Amino acid sequence: MIVTSLKPLDEILDSISPYSNILIAGCDGCTQPPRGLREAKTLSQLLELGGRLRDKDFQFKVTTVVKQCDSFLTASALKSQMDGAEAVLSLACGAGVQTVAELFPDLPVLPAQNTHFIGVEDREGGILEDSCAACGDCLLVLTGGICPVTRCAKGLLNGACGGARNGKCEMDPDRDCAWELIFQRLERQDKLDRIKEFRSPRNYQAKAWRLTP
Amino acid sequence: MNKVAPQKDRAQVEEVVDEASGKICLPPCQIACPIGLDIQRSHARIALLPPDTQEAHRQIIRIGDEIYQQNPLFLICGYICGLCERECNYKDQTGAIRRRMLLRLLTDYYLPYLETKPALASPTKEKVAVVGGGPAGLMCAYSLSKKGYQVTILERSPQLGGALWYIPRYRLPANIVDTTLRNLVRIANIEVKLGASMGDGGKTLDDLEEEGYQAVFVATGTLIPRPLSIEGKPVAGADRGGVMFGLNFLFDVNQGKVSPQLFQGRRVIVVGGGNVAFDVARTARRLGGDVSIVCLENEDKSSQDGIPADVEEIEGAEEEGIKINYCRGVEEIIGEGGKFNKIKCPQCISVFDETGLFNPKFDYSDAIYLEGDVLLITIGQAPEQAFYQQEDLLDGRGRLDIDQLTLMSNRKEGVFIGGDVRRVGFAAEAMRDGMIAAESIGRYLKGENLKSGRKKEYEGVAIPKRGSYKPQPELVWAPVEERLNFEPFEKGFSLEQAVEEAKRCLYCGPCKSCKACVALELQPGIPEIEFDKDLCISCGNCAFYCPYQAVKLDSPGGVSFDLAYCKGCGLCVAKCPAMAIELENWERERISALISQLLAEVQSPKILVFRCQWTVSPPRDGEFAPNIRTIDLPCAARVDTLHVLEAFQKGVDGVLIAACPEEDCHRGSGSREAQRLVAKLKERLSQIGYQDRLHFCSVSPRDPEQLDKELRQFRQRIEAVVSKREGK
Repeated sequence: MIVTSLKPLDEILDSISPYSNILIAGCDGCTQPPRGLREAKTLSQLLELGGRLRDKDFQFKVTTVVKQCDSFLTASALKSQMDGAEAVLSLACGAGVQTVAELFPDLPVLPAQNTHFIGVEDREGGILEDSCAACGDCLLVLTGGICPVTRCAKGLLNGACGGARNGKCEMDPDRDCAWELIFQRLERQDKLDRIKEFRSPRNYQAKAWRLTP
Repeated sequence: MNKVAPQKDRAQVEEVVDEASGKICLPPCQIACPIGLDIQRSHARIALLPPDTQEAHRQIIRIGDEIYQQNPLFLICGYICGLCERECNYKDQTGAIRRRMLLRLLTDYYLPYLETKPALASPTKEKVAVVGGGPAGLMCAYSLSKKGYQVTILERSPQLGGALWYIPRYRLPANIVDTTLRNLVRIANIEVKLGASMGDGGKTLDDLEEEGYQAVFVATGTLIPRPLSIEGKPVAGADRGGVMFGLNFLFDVNQGKVSPQLFQGRRVIVVGGGNVAFDVARTARRLGGDVSIVCLENEDKSSQDGIPADVEEIEGAEEEGIKINYCRGVEEIIGEGGKFNKIKCPQCISVFDETGLFNPKFDYSDAIYLEGDVLLITIGQAPEQAFYQQEDLLDGRGRLDIDQLTLMSNRKEGVFIGGDVRRVGFAAEAMRDGMIAAESIGRYLKGENLKSGRKKEYEGVAIPKRGSYKPQPELVWAPVEERLNFEPFEKGFSLEQAVEEAKRCLYCGPCKSCKACVALELQPGIPEIEFDKDLCISCGNCAFYCPYQAVKLDSPGGVSFDLAYCKGCGLCVAKCPAMAIELENWERERISALISQLLAEVQSPKILVFRCQWTVSPPRDGEFAPNIRTIDLPCAARVDTLHVLEAFQKGVDGVLIAACPEEDCHRGSGSREAQRLVAKLKERLSQIGYQDRLHFCSVSPRDPEQLDKELRQFRQRIEAVVSKREGK
């Protein structure tokens, strides 16, 4: 899932202050936490209250889109709702914001969030963690399903570096050493020989910028 | 100002069936209770007893009345039962809810009231005879009388109570039995004939029929003590002086027929490892004896051959100086001049054989001799068979020939048999037989099908998801030096302790089969979830947050709600990012409309309280009335960000969320989640300068002052906010 966090309300208020009629578009897609209809509505309420303190009277309309990064879905969901809107405030990730911006090039489309990473969520602990760099050259098969590109602070493909203490990274004592985790996982699966396999330097060309589905 | 709980009929309670298994869902305690008491329901009501003692007293009488309808012997259960505690979901956390002690507290208040409790309407229907005035017979008589039948109990001894008279008074005080039974007979208009024996010179079933009884329930109990035997043969020397049966001894003691120093300076050996043997041993100890126990079983209760007596009994006996000789049988009773003076005890190497049958094996080469003056044999009891034989009620193998579902004899129509005579068990189990027989007799006399719809299967509901568990209160026993007498040594709960203990209950069972909240007029009914599948985005929040396993994730995508387990707390509603869920009676629009309505009538500074209905104590009139309006929610879990913000938008100056303390939340994690939600919202509100206007507090329903104090402080804070705003 795409992990995002809401921008401070002040920053959003600054960005929307030139406009009065604003459409807030939630996204039901992969953003985590989900930023659907409830968040769109909550945000409109908070911004309305914040606007009052700035003597600004905003008119918000709220809606949500199944997946804002899908231009077909987004176009069909938003087109009918754009009447009178001077700007769109998007609750999608960066990709979703850009999709809306492309679809409505005459309108300012403003992000309500910062997009951080492709991550996994531990709901019990309430933690989201970076777990995929979208590097285009997946080597999880060699590493027991644990990604060293994201989870090793140094991004080493041939770890461990030797700096770990008690299983924790030397750069951040709160962070597990990814290569120790990889070693344990492979050992558990009786596939330790894989760790001996040399992985050639990362192919940065593999990071694609455009693909055909 | 607490709401007065009106007396609502239990009839509105519904059976809740699990969709997958087709079984009836109930809390495990209620399934374990042979009577099937609504344990959860009365716990909810005890937990909400008001601090005012007089009002609490009045409400306890109502709770007692409700239980009495189902079980007029509950006053006795509070001393001797506790079967429900064995299955309590809390058992595996910090220890079962001490239901028995809660019943005992109800008894403390209810027993004096019992003397004035009005009698049932005089019965007018057919005459029914109940043979045996023990727990089974009494329960049957009461249930029949409730249905309007004229019941006569025929009891051979000079008093009612049956096996209750074998329970030592330090466990079950005589006045409890006496008051309960005397009033039961009065209230239920039961005719009692004492000293009326059946069979062997007494009456026959035909006699009863001639006397106009249309049906008979026979529950004569098991009053024949089982004699000692070894390898299938009677143990030699059982006829020696000083040898007696524990059961007869208990009866004599309870009847006051023995001197208080009966065993002073004498060595008493009790044979047996069950609870009754411990009753005998501890009674003998209280009569001055130097007591030891001999039993076949070993010390390890968890093993197959472990001692069957309860841990509390074993601990209590040991504290009182009773020595237990484990893994020993009795091979021979030895004596001089016809009087017993020692027993020969070989080592018992196993009690049950591979097939699980009682078949003890001994190592005779390892035998010890135990010397004593009195030998009390307490290794079980059996029914007196002569009567059943004479009446042709036994099958070819000498067992009762009855239908196990209806308890009607397969040999004689209109004759029903139950209680210990059918299967030796706990008092409550005998009482259940009485209830079953009463239902059967009612059907029989009305010419209805005896069996239809009676075979029911139950499924215990699992423990709700919760952050923390409160410790189980310790039972308090009088110190040994003060308890070697026949006064009850277990200290009862105070009202405060009882309320605290009831608050531990997690209300595992389905709401519809409890409805305590409806009886307390907290809500008109159990609200249902309304789920709009089209809006669902399959995020799984509802399934993750539900404390009751009422939401299941479907694969692929989507969720489904099992309303059998839903308690209508509304947490899933507040957590759904797609606004796909609504809660009946607390729909978003309804709450919005309420906010507008309340706002129109309140004066500045305008304060809106979202309050969990379980915190009951309403804000006082007068002091707060002009500025404060309250919206009651099914649980703090239903507090909705949207409504808090909407209130601000509509002109509310301050919003206060009043939840139960986290550890007392009636809905698993509702209070905790509400607290988290408020904390998060406050953080966002702080970005626009609104943080002071929202406040979360947890208040106890038993302390209305708490909420008042919170309101007072909050109003001061809001007044400051308002005057600052107006100054600007």
